[in-house]
Amino acid sequence: MTEKINIKNVAKLAALKLTSEEEQKLEKDLSMIIDHFAALSEMDLPDEKITIHPLGMSLNLAEDEAFKFFTHDEALSNAPEAIDGQFVVPPALD
Amino acid sequence: MDHYKLPISDINKLFKDKKLKPSELYTEVFERTASTESIIHGHLSLFQEENIKKATDADERFLKGDELGVLDGIPVAIKDNINISGYATTCSSQMLSNYISPYDATVISKLKEEGVIFTGKTNLDEFAMGSSTENSAFGPTKNPWDPSRVPGGSSGGSAAVVSAGSAIASLGSDTGGSIRQPASFCGVVGFKPTYGTVSRYGLVAFASSLDQIGPITNNVSDAKILYNSIRGYDPFDATSLKDVNVKQPKLEKAKIGIIKELMEDGISEDAKSEVHKVSKLLESQGHEVIEVSLPLTKMSISIYYLIAPAECSANLSRFDGVRYGNRVNGNTSYEMMEATRAEGFGPEVKKRILLGTYALSAGYYDAFYGQALKARSMMKKEFTETFEQVDYLISPTTPSDPFKFGEKSDNQLEMYMSDLCTIPANLVGMPAISIPTGLSSSGLPLSVQIMSPSNTDNTLLDFAQNLESEVSFDALPQIQGDGE
Repeated sequence: MTEKINIKNVAKLAALKLTSEEEQKLEKDLSMIIDHFAALSEMDLPDEKITIHPLGMSLNLAEDEAFKFFTHDEALSNAPEAIDGQFVVPPALD
Repeated sequence: MDHYKLPISDINKLFKDKKLKPSELYTEVFERTASTESIIHGHLSLFQEENIKKATDADERFLKGDELGVLDGIPVAIKDNINISGYATTCSSQMLSNYISPYDATVISKLKEEGVIFTGKTNLDEFAMGSSTENSAFGPTKNPWDPSRVPGGSSGGSAAVVSAGSAIASLGSDTGGSIRQPASFCGVVGFKPTYGTVSRYGLVAFASSLDQIGPITNNVSDAKILYNSIRGYDPFDATSLKDVNVKQPKLEKAKIGIIKELMEDGISEDAKSEVHKVSKLLESQGHEVIEVSLPLTKMSISIYYLIAPAECSANLSRFDGVRYGNRVNGNTSYEMMEATRAEGFGPEVKKRILLGTYALSAGYYDAFYGQALKARSMMKKEFTETFEQVDYLISPTTPSDPFKFGEKSDNQLEMYMSDLCTIPANLVGMPAISIPTGLSSSGLPLSVQIMSPSNTDNTLLDFAQNLESEVSFDALPQIQGDGE
């Protein structure tokens, strides 16, 4: 049995506001899934390399050249709120 | 005569011989959509108005002999997590219910150049997370073979519309089987290409080291046409592959390995007997079939459900109510973000974001995410070594035939297990194709999956095409549509 998941803390890290019903259900569901991982986490793999890209390739880097892409208006076209060509958000600090 | 189940190359010949016009085919397909859509709900949006002109433009091109290629005038449906400029891309999520894409995905640009007519956008599990389309915020898609059953997922809409004849072909995306599993459930062909051979630019990311766009079609020949039209290096995708020359598997007198671990507990007798039936056919064609053991495939669900949610939790952090998507107001930016995400995401997406956040958090990273990445390396080694002995691997595509709505939605692990056979191809990056081969004892479609080493996609497609012609699966779904 894995240690109990601190659902409130994980939800805070994920910026997800949960209702108390959701907290209860998700805590139970996630604990069940994490228990299922026990066999994997107990495997002895100390010297194994990690695989991130499935074919082991390094990422392609773009040429350092400017090119035309979105216009300002296009970039803002889906913004919930925009003023004077800028995204608008509530205050970042309390 | 109905044309919607003909191979694309046959349709193209009819167009060229002036025996059929693209506008006539489009009308036929649209009428089919109109009569079946109320039952299956495969499309989230239809582009009918603008398509009439596109189809008549294609008529003109064929009349003048100026056609753009074999896909000119072919109606193709697009999964609604792939961006088409000027149209909604909802990912079947309330979060993006008002999002209009300002750009084309690379695969869309390529298909536009070939004169493809996009029928519309198809339903999926929210953000491609699921195996049944039950997680769509806009209601599930039904299986054309039996509307009381799921079409599979996440590309359930893309598979159902091809099966029902309301598109000639479709594009889906496959992160752990999301093309192949629904293709199997709907009795059509689904192909997941080698990771990186098809650009992911413009596909809304779920798990970037696993996601891959690919075709869902009525036959392998159509899959090959679509795959070769969308593949190719793209500088807009940092993981895009340049062409590489690798040793190709044999097409004749090949050696095929049945994966032992995918023929054991949890796999239905129907699914196993389909693999045995196909193995005998392969042997009768002069191939050799042996059993191979890849022990880590048993661990693939655990590896996948650590890596995919971890990547998902990072990718979906972009949905913060600032640049796009819906917003719920709050007194601070953080309050706005957490309220927006609470309202915009459905239960399965929330669960996976939380699971990924947990696996990446301090104190658990090494035990879970890091361990999964190491196990992924071991799994890759197992497959690489096995492909030194065999040309292809074979398994069931799905552990069972299509299940009923609600049957697995209360048992998350059982739902996750429905991707047991398809996940390994995503973890190791290799191509894999699902082809329908027969019907279960309930009269529902069953498929086998064939896999080959990375970058041998066209050889795999040729091999699958040979097998398909031997299998001669010609059953069609029972759906007839309204009033038929």
